[in-house]
Amino acid sequence: MKELKFIDLKQCILDDNGHVADEVRELARQKKFFLWNIMSSPGAGKTTFILDVIRRLKGEFRIGVIEGDIESTVDAQKMQALDVPTVQLRIGGDCHLDAAMIKKALENLPLDELNIVIIENIGNLVCPAEFDLGANLPSMLLSVPEGDDKALKYPLMFSVCKALIVTKIDCLPLFDFDMEALKINTRRLNDDLQIFPVSAKTGEGMDEFIAMLKQLIANNLQLL
Amino acid sequence: MHELPFAKSIFHAVVTKAEANGATKVTRVVIEVGVLRDFVPEIVQKYWKYVTKGSMAEDSSIEMNEIPATVTCGDCQTVYEINVHDLVHTHCPQCGCQTGKMLTGRELRIVGIEIE
Ligand SMILES: Nc1nc2c(ncn2[C@@H]2O[C@H](COP(=O)(O)OP(=O)(O)O)[C@@H](O)[C@H]2O)c(=O)[nH]1
Ligand SMILES: [Mg+2]
Ligand SMILES: [Zn+2]
Repeated sequence: MKELKFIDLKQCILDDNGHVADEVRELARQKKFFLWNIMSSPGAGKTTFILDVIRRLKGEFRIGVIEGDIESTVDAQKMQALDVPTVQLRIGGDCHLDAAMIKKALENLPLDELNIVIIENIGNLVCPAEFDLGANLPSMLLSVPEGDDKALKYPLMFSVCKALIVTKIDCLPLFDFDMEALKINTRRLNDDLQIFPVSAKTGEGMDEFIAMLKQLIANNLQLL
Repeated sequence: MHELPFAKSIFHAVVTKAEANGATKVTRVVIEVGVLRDFVPEIVQKYWKYVTKGSMAEDSSIEMNEIPATVTCGDCQTVYEINVHDLVHTHCPQCGCQTGKMLTGRELRIVGIEIE
């Protein structure tokens, strides 16, 4: 009869990813770029929103994009049309991006020239929330047609973000979306979460968001 | 579905640790998972069977202990447990307010392994 031995581990399964995320954070600090992770469900409006942000910030900042969309390179082509250095990740059937993919992608961007790197994460409200990418700003886009109850259904996603952008507010008259209910529900788990209602179509709310973003970037990169 | 990559990471960590301890077989694995991870025990079992097939951990059991979600009240700092399946009715038992900061519920740890 063989002897049974119980080994105490207390090992965090996400440690490997966490260590790589720390390396990414350190790289961003050294190379002085602001890393911004944008998560949402498919079709919420990430690409449209990112393109609008790029148009508004282009004069002041040099921006790069890491494109994590599953299906094709359509989104990357739209970024490149704006003259923005873009890395398209080939992720096959994966449902999330992890820190190692970001580290690799960053090797293919001209980091010495960039102030901001935007990550368009894979459309999914579950898995992307589970992986720290080393971003200065983990954020989420929620579009009005998806409904105000999403914070109740995807609590992990809402708890890991620092900013929540509620997009497609031009559609509010068509839906029974309750902005107050959304605020109450997100603050149950994350009372620091900042909420920005915007429309990438009409531009409503974008000035406020851009002002916050510039302040955050300035603080992070010590530009002020 | 989202449990699969974690089953692989757990497997990798378990085998590494078992080999380092001169084991020939892993018979039992205990993990701790925060409720916000939304891991379904039956699905964890299924993936565990799949990833351990043909390895030193084949036929080992995996036990999952759930860690409840708790928040610190944004107003009075009371720590209280929340029911993630009924967030709408969650409020601070001390002051009644509905804001909080996540304290526990996102854990993902291997507690220990049993080897031969
Ligand atoms: N009405 C409206 N439509 C939008 C807005 N933002 C994006 N869309 C539309 O939503 C669809 C999906 O947008 P896309 O940016 O590709 O979403 P992604 O999959 O998250 O990248 C497109 O048809 C966009 O034109 C918005 O603010 N208002
Ligand atoms: Mg897109
Ligand atoms: Zn309280």
